Amino acid sequence: MTTEPTTQKPTTRELVTDRRDEYAFHDDIVYLKETKRGLTRDTVEEISRFKDEPEWMLKLRLRAYDHFLKRPMPMWTDGLDKINFDNIVYYRKPSEREERSWDDVPDKIKATFEKLGIPEAERKFLAGVGAQYDSEVVYHNVREELSKIGVVFMGTDQGLKEYPEIFKEYFGTVVPAEDNKFSALNGAVWSGGSFVYVPKGVEVPLPLQAYFRINGENTGQFERTLIVVDEGAKVHYIEGCTAPIYATESLHVAVVEVVALPGSKVRYTTIQNWSNDVYNLVTKRAHAYEHATVEWIDANTGSRKTVKFPSIYLRGEGASADIISVAVAGKGQHQDTGAKAIHLAKNTTSRIVSKSVSKDGGRATYRGNLKVAPGATGVVASVRCDALMLDDQSRSDTYPYIDIQEDDTTMTHEATVGKISQDQIFYLMSRGLTENEAQNLVIQGFLEVFTKELPMEYAIEFNRLVKLEMEGSLG
Amino acid sequence: MTSTSAQREEAVPASSADTPTPRERPSRAPRRGPSDLPFRFADRGLALALAAERDEPAWLRDERLAAWQAFEALPVESNQLYTPYVDLRGADLFEVRPYVTDAPAGLGDDLEGLRLPDGVHVETFGQWLERDPASFRAAIDGAAGLPADDKLAMLARGFWSHGRHVEVPAGVALEAPIVLRWRAGAPGRALVTRTFISLGEGASGSIVEEQLDSCPPVECAEGEPVPQSLFHGTTEVVLGRDASLALASVQQLGDQQVAFQHRHASIGHGASLHWALAQLGGRLVRSRVDNRLVGDHASVEQVEIVFGSGDQLFDLTSYTRHIGRDTTGNLLSKGVLLDRARSYLKGLITIEKSAVGTDSFLGEFGMNLSKAARSVAIPSLEIDQPDCRRAAHSSSVGPIDPTQLFYLESRGIPPDEARKFVVLGFLEPVVARVPLDGAREDLRRLLEEKWAAGLASPRAAAPAA
Repeated sequence: MTTEPTTQKPTTRELVTDRRDEYAFHDDIVYLKETKRGLTRDTVEEISRFKDEPEWMLKLRLRAYDHFLKRPMPMWTDGLDKINFDNIVYYRKPSEREERSWDDVPDKIKATFEKLGIPEAERKFLAGVGAQYDSEVVYHNVREELSKIGVVFMGTDQGLKEYPEIFKEYFGTVVPAEDNKFSALNGAVWSGGSFVYVPKGVEVPLPLQAYFRINGENTGQFERTLIVVDEGAKVHYIEGCTAPIYATESLHVAVVEVVALPGSKVRYTTIQNWSNDVYNLVTKRAHAYEHATVEWIDANTGSRKTVKFPSIYLRGEGASADIISVAVAGKGQHQDTGAKAIHLAKNTTSRIVSKSVSKDGGRATYRGNLKVAPGATGVVASVRCDALMLDDQSRSDTYPYIDIQEDDTTMTHEATVGKISQDQIFYLMSRGLTENEAQNLVIQGFLEVFTKELPMEYAIEFNRLVKLEMEGSLG
Repeated sequence: MTSTSAQREEAVPASSADTPTPRERPSRAPRRGPSDLPFRFADRGLALALAAERDEPAWLRDERLAAWQAFEALPVESNQLYTPYVDLRGADLFEVRPYVTDAPAGLGDDLEGLRLPDGVHVETFGQWLERDPASFRAAIDGAAGLPADDKLAMLARGFWSHGRHVEVPAGVALEAPIVLRWRAGAPGRALVTRTFISLGEGASGSIVEEQLDSCPPVECAEGEPVPQSLFHGTTEVVLGRDASLALASVQQLGDQQVAFQHRHASIGHGASLHWALAQLGGRLVRSRVDNRLVGDHASVEQVEIVFGSGDQLFDLTSYTRHIGRDTTGNLLSKGVLLDRARSYLKGLITIEKSAVGTDSFLGEFGMNLSKAARSVAIPSLEIDQPDCRRAAHSSSVGPIDPTQLFYLESRGIPPDEARKFVVLGFLEPVVARVPLDGAREDLRRLLEEKWAAGLASPRAAAPAA
């Protein structure tokens, strides 16, 4: 009924997309090392050889590769069968060696980061920057005070070389390759990502930040992040991503493992804003031991399809989990996101809050799992999912799984779906706001549970992003 | 088998502690997948035998064969959301023999001595076919009232041996409820039934459905297990414009009976349907309710209780689909579990794009009274139309509220009595909606009996983790 002819004046929404295009740059980097398109056993061995890895890591990669072949494609979410695994470069190295200081970073790459605003951000509050350019960490600047207090923050490849004991103990224990088809793929071809180790009792005073970028058409990015926070330590890790817009599909398959040892506190914040051609399939999981606290603060606005359910396994008595998941699904996007809290120990608590906005034919899906295993007595858990739909072209789904196997669990779950209240819009407009401003304000209020958890400059940026996304979605 | 799901993906990890204490369940047959069908009587030969030995018309034979083919082609659970929570391993029906021309003892006593207003029919499918072959065929041929993607619905469509038809013509209001009484078949038998209920424009009435143990209850020689039997039934409800129906069902099958139940309602313009469903008996109960709010201003209210003990498993799904404008759905499920009982409460609200002005709520609430009990809730929403009055679900699982106990005990009520009050009080909102006084009192009595039996059983013997 409302199919618009293409000759029509572009809507504000389209203009917004155009504006984002300005940031869709693509530098002509000469890739010094890259594998052939497609995934074979040779590719996996080649990657391991490039990186000069220990034998056990090669074995782990090959085991993961075998499992990837065996594992059927998940059928519970749709569209994944469109991924052509044969048309992807699984490893690409942007420059020969890791750069330590800003001056040594190649100018081309520097220019890219300039557009991302890294130098400016660094002047502010950055504790250290791990900027991921394609599959390798090229620039890594750890502030001196961080090393002084013993905090390790570096690329995962370098971490494997310098801290083999920590890797042997924890790598692949939180997310085994056999967990799902995509953790197997990541296990086989992983490259880059961050490695963080915080020693006993150390509180990292500033958030650790890493910027991720996909560059190169059809470049797969398979970063692997391992964060180990020792007893009583405290850290906040921030990950944000942007990507150039290309016509063909890109694939981002990441694995993030967090180990929160007894009494520690870990917060992991993500703002995901991949371009709208990226399949973003991420397995994020944390193990929380005795009295540890893990928080996932996770926002997804970009990508063509995101499948990501940050999870926390509460393994030690008194551990607690807090997950805030936000998704904005626009035209052609499907955000299949959610959260999982698996209670395996006594007196553990969890809180899941999910907020989604769908519009212009986008689809937002909440999928969650709350499980209380036998033996996990005294659990208190809550799940809250709210969805806003801005038009009737869009779709919103809520699929929570709640599985309680103890007799003294206190669990509550609430979910609502609806549109923006016309009363609120009317009220705001009667106070002099335009309809668009009123709608923006309501949406910002709806997402505030997320934005108030962000550092200030991120909150401002996120609100700006949402505003851009929302422009022109009225009328 | 592609039984992958969000849950499976998570369940695989080597991380040890996922199920620290594997529970022992007695007599689980080896090497059976949780979603393998526990019987094999439904074949082409049976479909043909049912048609031939009962002198059915040719179209009905073809209908049975079409259903058999659909049955063969479908998986037990066609909804990917629910595949991780299917467990048919408690059923062992490989030796059951289906009814073809004979009937279980006691079946049919519900049709005796009925006094009905003019034009109201309560009859068997056989009587219906004889009386009005055209309307019988219109209702049954093609099975428009059954979900085509459901294997067990296709089982009923192809292999029913006993049918009940209730028809209330336009403008007629039933004063007294109609009672439909089903009895489980004898041990080792499979009874496949179908019920078709239609209310014409402006008609109203209430129906009480009883699902009872076989008659007389079976006694076997000591030490000899009673063979399991299968009760399989579908109920199709068609409500015309502004019709209103209250339908209460009390399921109190025996503990060696496996029940598959399907209920499908098509609710017309301005019509309203009230379900009150109580699940008490059975060893394994798998139920599905489909409410299709087709007409504008249609409404459905569904209340359901589960009271499980022993090794009972209740696998209950409800689908509510809003299609017309300004429709209302209000669903409430409550479960109390003792011993090693399990309940899987799955509910899906779908709001189609045409369903402007929907008000839909789904609540699933559970109370685990034993460490070995397990309650699963999967209350889901799929929404294509945001212009609604309400689209929400809510779920909770909690122990008995100690402050309520404390209050009751402070009024001089002994602890065991107080526990009973709190638990039965939790279920009472559902009981109160059973439309027939006698049936409501019976249900209260049954719940009390089950509570008393639960207290007597050594439920604390469950392995504590």
